[in-house]
Amino acid sequence: MNTQLPAGFSDLEQFAQWVLPTSTERNRKRRTGSMDEINAFYNAMLPRMEEILAYLDQFSLQEMPQDVRRLMFLSLSLAEVTIAVELFHEPKVTGGCDPERFVVVRELNP
Amino acid sequence: MKTVMANRRWIKENPDLDTGPVPTETCTSPQLFELERERIFRKSWLNMGREDDLPEPGNYVVRDLAVANTSVLLVRGKDRKVRAFHNICVHRGNRLVDGEKGLCKGRFVCRFHSWAYDTAGQLTWVSDEANFYDIDKGALGLKPIAADLWEGFIFINLDPHPTETLAQYMAGMVQQIHGYPFDQQRLMCRYRVEERANWKVMLDAQNEVYHLPFLHITYPDFCPLNEQKFSRIQNFARFGRHTVYSVELNPDHKMTPVEEIAVNANPRGGEVHPSMIGWFDFYTVFPNFCMLFLAGTYVTYNIWPIAVDRSVWEVSLYQPATDKPSERFAQEYIRCRFRDLLQEDASNHEAIQASLNSGALTHFQLQDEEIQIRHFHKEVRRHIFGEENSASAIANNHDTVELRLK
Repeated sequence: MNTQLPAGFSDLEQFAQWVLPTSTERNRKRRTGSMDEINAFYNAMLPRMEEILAYLDQFSLQEMPQDVRRLMFLSLSLAEVTIAVELFHEPKVTGGCDPERFVVVRELNP
Repeated sequence: MKTVMANRRWIKENPDLDTGPVPTETCTSPQLFELERERIFRKSWLNMGREDDLPEPGNYVVRDLAVANTSVLLVRGKDRKVRAFHNICVHRGNRLVDGEKGLCKGRFVCRFHSWAYDTAGQLTWVSDEANFYDIDKGALGLKPIAADLWEGFIFINLDPHPTETLAQYMAGMVQQIHGYPFDQQRLMCRYRVEERANWKVMLDAQNEVYHLPFLHITYPDFCPLNEQKFSRIQNFARFGRHTVYSVELNPDHKMTPVEEIAVNANPRGGEVHPSMIGWFDFYTVFPNFCMLFLAGTYVTYNIWPIAVDRSVWEVSLYQPATDKPSERFAQEYIRCRFRDLLQEDASNHEAIQASLNSGALTHFQLQDEEIQIRHFHKEVRRHIFGEENSASAIANNHDTVELRLK
């Protein structure tokens, strides 16, 4: 399996642990991480998002090479952690229920 | 829609909804829950998802409805018609189909004695048929449940003789939503959340925006607030048993950095379809189905009672079909934010139920922004107690209730 991100995004390789194919995994990763870890990921991704989305848009969701798909999952992890950084200022939903109780019974992937 | 932040006094147009406190007893009484089971859930049209859940002939879905003590088999026949049956073999009563969904390529076969049915519910095979006495396969077949479609949504009615057609049941709402591009939206995700709460506690908590600036860190300023920082709904309408309320998007809503990226990547996400009333429309279809239309997205809730203090919240999020990665990113952002918002609500539902179970609070106090809840509880009580008895029932007289149960 190709474990690389596309050329031009190799600096984000250090965040490879955020390349996760399902929302349940991305949400667990957010909740079990520290804010330092989450902030580091968010701060690295935020200034690159314009470039990342423009790059991804050269492909269709249905036909993505493996390395592009990895970049797609990485950006979906940003969508997941953003709320922790920008709104809750902690990994979990402040005052929320146990997120494991929101069982995903269907989802599009990616 | 022009935003009006003055006190609306919706009650003036709806004086029958009364201004008094609303009894809490239907959220805690096991006896009243039994009445709801018989008089609401066995008599009303119930949403079972969308037609797209059964795209091809032979596709089926099995839904176990604890509130009606039955399992429902939904199947699209060779003639493309969607039918509903009790998921039970007519020979000795075995559960016919296991599993949640699938494709029936030929027949549904009971594993007990191999009786078989086609996708129209006809009994097509009885093993050792000649050794039965006077059996008539044509007169048997799966036990049907009334089923019909409304704007692509599948509804069933467990009453063997429904008193209204689905079209009559939904009257008024047809004109309202007709034309919404449901066919361009596809199911992005569905959550199932089991909660220790009465189904109405869960529905009521969604059926107003008064709480938004207080409870939700995720969307404190989503809807316009007046000078005192209180919400004002911009529309409230009743369609028989059902209601809709609408709000506009707060023009001063402050976007976060990633929210701004997501909004820019999602031009269709801001589109308010002409069939919508406001920027956000919330329909409550009696008894347990809600449709939420936000610009570019719609969400449905099916809230299924299990017991008086236990329910399942099914949340389905629909967004425009896309192949474009940046749009998919934007949709994921909406999905995560919405899910987190609902998690803020879910812990609250259970806190309310636990408190109500104490019996300390006999009535809810409802303001004009919560008139939807007033309507909903009136409908619940009208169904439980009957038209003629609902006035005395609203007086919260337990003796009356017990008398009626005998």
